[in-house]
Amino acid sequence: MNPMFFGQSESPLYGLYHSPQSSSRNEGVVLCYPFGQEYMRAHRAFRQLALLLTKKGYHVLRFDFRGTGDSSGSMDDVEAEHWLRDIDDAVAELRETASVDRVSVVGLRLGALFAAHACSRRTDIARLVVWDPVLSGELYEKELLEEIATDAPSEYEVSHGNEMAGDGTLHFNGFSMSARFRESIKGLSLMDSIPSSVPKLLHVVSVETDQVSQLRAAWRAHPGYRYQYAPAPHDWNEVDDFGGILLPQAVIQAIVNWLEAQQRP
Amino acid sequence: MKERVLKVGKPVPLIGVVTEPQAFDPERAAVIVLNSGIMHHVGACRLSVKITREVASKGLLAARFDYSGIGDSEPRRGTESFEEVSLKECAEVMDYLERTRGVKRFILAGLCSGADAAYNTALEDKRVIAIAQIDAFCYVTPRYHLEYYRPILFRRKRWASFLNRIWGKVARRSPGKPPTDSAALDPEYFEVPTYTRVFPPREQVARGLSRLTARGVRMYVNFTGGEPSYRYQGQYRASFPEVAFGDLLTVDYYPHTNHIITQPRYQREIVSNITSWVVDVDERSPALAQPIP
Repeated sequence: MNPMFFGQSESPLYGLYHSPQSSSRNEGVVLCYPFGQEYMRAHRAFRQLALLLTKKGYHVLRFDFRGTGDSSGSMDDVEAEHWLRDIDDAVAELRETASVDRVSVVGLRLGALFAAHACSRRTDIARLVVWDPVLSGELYEKELLEEIATDAPSEYEVSHGNEMAGDGTLHFNGFSMSARFRESIKGLSLMDSIPSSVPKLLHVVSVETDQVSQLRAAWRAHPGYRYQYAPAPHDWNEVDDFGGILLPQAVIQAIVNWLEAQQRP
Repeated sequence: MKERVLKVGKPVPLIGVVTEPQAFDPERAAVIVLNSGIMHHVGACRLSVKITREVASKGLLAARFDYSGIGDSEPRRGTESFEEVSLKECAEVMDYLERTRGVKRFILAGLCSGADAAYNTALEDKRVIAIAQIDAFCYVTPRYHLEYYRPILFRRKRWASFLNRIWGKVARRSPGKPPTDSAALDPEYFEVPTYTRVFPPREQVARGLSRLTARGVRMYVNFTGGEPSYRYQGQYRASFPEVAFGDLLTVDYYPHTNHIITQPRYQREIVSNITSWVVDVDERSPALAQPIP
C-alpha cells in the first residue's frame, strides 16, 4: 500500500496505490468514494475491495476527491467539474504508476454518479461499476432534505446540525455542501446519460428501490450492461457516535467476481 | 502550508499525513492528532484534517496518522493490547518527526479513544508537553446528579409528557409506545470498534494526572453533550480534588454538540479553540516543562 499526493500542484489529491499481490494484470482499477458520512463509513469497505482486487492481480488506486478526506481544499471551493477532473487525474496517475493499458472505474453512491459522468467523457475506460449509485444530483439533495425534515431531534437529543443554511450551504451529518457545489451537481444525472463509451457496465445494489428499477430500465439498452442485486441491508448515511463502519461483503465480492468473470475467455 | 505523506516503520508502516507550515521552526512543538475508535486519520467529520491544517497555518508542524490495523495502516502481528500498541506507535511517529524534522516537543490531541491514547502516551513519554482531549476519562460528582435531573425536574413539558404516559397506560391499558427501531442496520454488515472503552478507576487517573501536572504537562480537556458522564463546566476539576492542576488545566464544555461534533458551528469553535490553546502552550512551554529527575 503506497500513499501519495498526486494531481494538480495547486490542489493535490490524496490517494492510496495498492500493487498486485499475485501475478500482475495489465489493468488498474480506480475507486471513487462517496461523500460525507458515507465516505467515513465506506473507507474500510474500499480498503477491503482494494485488497481483494490486488489478490486477483489488479493495480488499485483509491483517492479522496478535493475538499474531502486528506485531499486539498474545502468543499467551499469545489464544484462538480473539479471532481470530474479529479477522476481524470486519478486515471492518469494509475496508468503512470502501474504502467497499465487498461483502467476500470468503481464508484459508490455520489462517487458512482461522478464516475459514470467522468467515464462518459472518455473513450479509454474498460469497465465501470456503479455501486448503490446516486441517480442524480437533484435526487441526492432531495434525499438529504427529506431526511432533515423527517429526522428532527427529540427534546432529549442533541441536534446533528442538519440544515439548509441561509447562504445555501447544506449541512448534513457533519459535512457541508456549498451552494456552488449543490448547483453544480444538479446537472448530473445517470438517467439521461448512459456511459456508452464504456464497453462493460456493472450496476450493483445492496438494496432494491424504485430508483434502482428506473436506472435498470434506462441502462438496459447498453449491450454491456449487467445488473446485480447483492443483498446487504444497511444505511450509508446513518450517523452514530462511535464511527461504526459498513462492510457489505456480498457487494464487495460481487464486484470482484464480475471483474474476474469479464477476464475469462 | 504543504502536506506530505507520512510512512513510518518497516515492514508494516504506519500511514498518515504531515502538514508543514510555511515557515517551519524545529524549536516549536509539533501536534499529532490520534485516531478516534476505528475512524481513519481524517477524523470524525474531517476534524483531524481541520485541526492539523489550522495548527500548521499558525506555524506549527502537525501530523495525523493511523495506528496499525486502523484506516490506511495495515495490521501488525503481535498480541499486545491497543493500549500497549498505541504507546509504541505514537512514540514511533514522534521518533520519526524528531529524526527527520528535529522536533523535540509534542502536543497530542484526540477525541474519545484518541483522548485516552493522548493521556496514556503523555504518562510514558517525556517529549509530550501537552495534551488536548475531547471527551476524556471523566467521573461523576454529587453535583453531576443534580445537573442530570435538573432539566427533568424543572421542565413542565417533561412532567406533562410523563403524566400523559402514565394516564394513557392507566386509562387505556395501552402497552405504551413501541420501542424505536434502532436496528435498521444489519449487524452482519456493520462493524463497530473492537476497542472497548473502559474508564480506569478514578483514583488511578488522579494519580496519573498528578504525575502529568508535576511534570508541567498542560491539559486542554473538552467535553461534548455526547458524553453521558459529563454534565457541567466545572465537573472535571471537581472530580479530581486531589490533583493540583493550577493553571495547567483548561476545560471547555459544549453541551449542545454531540460526540463526533457534527454541527459546523461547534466544529469551527473547537478547531479554533484547540489551535489557540496549542499556540499558547507552544509559546509558554519551554519555561514550564520541567524534566523528570
